[in-house]
Amino acid sequence: MIPRKWKMYIKMYWVKLAIVAAILSVIVLAVVGLNSLESYYRNITLATMPVNLLMVALNAVIFVFMYMTFMKGGFSKLSNKLRVHGDFVDVKWSDVIGMENVKEEAMEVVQLIKDRARVKKIGGKILRGILMFGPPGCGKTYLAKAIATEAGMPFVSMSGSEFVEIFVGVGAARVRGLFKKARELAYGYGGCIIFIDELDAIARKRVFSAFGGTEETNSTQNQLLAEMDGLQEIKDKHGNPSPEQNVIVIGATNAPEDTIDRALRRPGRFDRIVYIEKPGLEDREKLFTYYLSKVEADKSLDVSRLARKAVYKSPADIENIVKEAALVATKNGRDKVILEDVSEAMERIDIGLKRKLKMTPHEREATACHEAGHAVVLYILHPTNDVFKISIIPRKDTLGVTYSQPKEELYSHTKDKLLADIKVDLAGYVSEKMRFGVTSTGVSGDFKDAMRIAHFMVWSLGMSDAGFLGDYTVIPESQISEDMKEKLNEETDKIFKQCIKEVEELLLKEKPILERLISELLSKEELEYDEVEAIFNEFGKTHIKSAW
Amino acid sequence: MVITKKFLLLLTINCALCAILCGCTSTYPGDKIRESIVKICKQEYKSDVLVETTGRTMVIYLPLSNLMDFSFALTKEASEKINDVIFSAARVALSTDARINFYCVIAHDIKMPELQIIIIKSVEDVKRLFANDISRGEYMKRMLIDLRWSPQAKKEQVVKEVFSRMNLDPKWQDQVMTDFFKSEPTSLGDIGYWDNKFYIKDITVPEFLAEQIANRVKLEFREGKILKETFLLKSARGVYILRKGKHLFRFDIFAERSTYGTAGTIEDSDKIFETVLSIAAHVIHGYHFKDYDGVEVFDQKEGRSIEVNPEELEAFRTKKLRLNEIGV
Repeated sequence: MIPRKWKMYIKMYWVKLAIVAAILSVIVLAVVGLNSLESYYRNITLATMPVNLLMVALNAVIFVFMYMTFMKGGFSKLSNKLRVHGDFVDVKWSDVIGMENVKEEAMEVVQLIKDRARVKKIGGKILRGILMFGPPGCGKTYLAKAIATEAGMPFVSMSGSEFVEIFVGVGAARVRGLFKKARELAYGYGGCIIFIDELDAIARKRVFSAFGGTEETNSTQNQLLAEMDGLQEIKDKHGNPSPEQNVIVIGATNAPEDTIDRALRRPGRFDRIVYIEKPGLEDREKLFTYYLSKVEADKSLDVSRLARKAVYKSPADIENIVKEAALVATKNGRDKVILEDVSEAMERIDIGLKRKLKMTPHEREATACHEAGHAVVLYILHPTNDVFKISIIPRKDTLGVTYSQPKEELYSHTKDKLLADIKVDLAGYVSEKMRFGVTSTGVSGDFKDAMRIAHFMVWSLGMSDAGFLGDYTVIPESQISEDMKEKLNEETDKIFKQCIKEVEELLLKEKPILERLISELLSKEELEYDEVEAIFNEFGKTHIKSAW
Repeated sequence: MVITKKFLLLLTINCALCAILCGCTSTYPGDKIRESIVKICKQEYKSDVLVETTGRTMVIYLPLSNLMDFSFALTKEASEKINDVIFSAARVALSTDARINFYCVIAHDIKMPELQIIIIKSVEDVKRLFANDISRGEYMKRMLIDLRWSPQAKKEQVVKEVFSRMNLDPKWQDQVMTDFFKSEPTSLGDIGYWDNKFYIKDITVPEFLAEQIANRVKLEFREGKILKETFLLKSARGVYILRKGKHLFRFDIFAERSTYGTAGTIEDSDKIFETVLSIAAHVIHGYHFKDYDGVEVFDQKEGRSIEVNPEELEAFRTKKLRLNEIGV
């Protein structure tokens, strides 16, 4: 009786086995043939063998090159995207840092996968798939690997984009190949986990043409639906479906949930939906502790302070910050990473590297004036954000920057916060106009942001004073009257102008602080959090932020 | 994974090593050369041969029943048999651990043992032919083939004639004959098989080269268009001699003007020198032979000679020197 694993290996690797057997036979025959030769001819044959092999290889390369160039349209076809490897991964729960809620959910899933027989016995529905939603870099792949490790199953991974080809039917064929491989592995190991990253590439809502034609992604997705439904099971030698294969599909995407086709989200396909969020304060602390342990870091480094500063950062961002900090420390001639290195790394990543751009004195002054305006309004009016840095050193595509961060992550925003955002955006413009009478192109980005927020408030959030409630953006444009559009736009304009007015009043009132910040910026070019705090304190301003 | 790339690589290397190691032993051990050739000739070609070795030379005696036809040409059957034996000798010489430099095949008709064909080949030439280092035409020119009256038979005839003419007591004839034949062969011309005995010597490279050059000169005078029309070559003999501490290749050429009654000229003599020297330079260079101090050519007809040192010969070969610049 051949064990199931051996059978699986034979099924999976019969082509390779046949090739190996053929190669071995050829080698044995060659050795026997060589032995039958007289020693001189044998030596000559052996001596010329390397050259002959080289020539054969060269001929093969030339042939393949010419064949691919002239017959098949290039080497891009050579890359075999259907090559799927089932590997055992070794990612433990303890390696997945943070995400405690998600981990709990995932553990439950693992338990369901392991206790498949028990679930079936009590008549429960067997889990077929898990769909993970979440922003990029939050550890979706890592979690999928941890699930595979904990469930003790091989892990087959492919990216959604690997199914996408311009050739019709290729995507569907790849889905079939993937599931075939997974079922073979499941046959040998009792289960297999398929992980499809960037699932949105093939799972977008299908498009149905009035002329009967369908898009290529439709057929790929249809095949995925069919495979997940369990219709394509391995048959035994009598043609009956063999014992059910324990194949679980884990999909991951950072696309919004409503962009994924509903057929995939229904029970029986992706039964479980797992939402992965960016890490909270505690998780960020753990992440910093974990990644800093991998580099030579100062023991006195305050990870909680770093975690507070890294609001909205994903685990991948934090890993990147620590790596960058190590580079900064090396650049600064230190053998340990200290707080300043991490701060600099964070700034490098968030606001970019400094550029050596030669500005005219007027441009410098205008930039200082613009940034000081942002800073004053931000410090005094903004309910959630802190000013971490003001700079008039060019970075990325800006001449200056006012770097602010919320104290903690907020999942919803009040009207006050949104209005404050608009005012902060407009402060640069107002400040420039007050000082010079004219404004520069530097306001374009600010205006865009401010207008977008104001438009959103009026059209979608019902935050105008005129009482237009509801989300007007869901109504097709042709069904909104011109009069209504005009009214809504007037409300947007009103918010915009009101904010400008309030900012003007504030900046006039706080002109001494504004002037002080401008002069400090012109002399120092950059002001850090503590320096900004000191200036405002000097004028009797304290920064009390409260997340509502 | 069940079959890893490393495993396959290891397997291939193992097999290759096995193949290489099995190629390390010689097929024909040095102490069994004679038996090997006899066995091959007997089993594969149905020929009975006798084999003798001396130094680094291997000699095979092949008795035939029908060596030549009425036109004095080799019969097809004899030619095939000789080729088979040559091939067998080459196989053994190449696949043995004994150091064999030359092999020689002596074939004669059992009905007329005095007339013998002697073929001498260098093992190195065979190797170079296999390696495509020399052409088949060049290989054929490097082979020494001689159809001649057995020197031992000539001597026996002389002794018998002396006893007969001088009415000497025949009972001493065997004694004289034995003493007469005691002397070992000293040149390639003495090699032969007579009266169930091998007369062989260890062939050296220079004497092989001297003989080969002489053969090539004969061929050139026979087939070269201008030479054939201008000269009638009577004899060409090449030897490797030691004279006054110098190792010399010496060639004695006797060639007459082919037109009856025409006297020889200096130009004719120069043409002979030029031909012989160019052939000698080509052959010596072809074998990378260095162990000589000069080449001497003697025109027996005109009584003129020329001697060139190796540097001059090389310069002559590469056309950096002309004959009149060497100095006759």
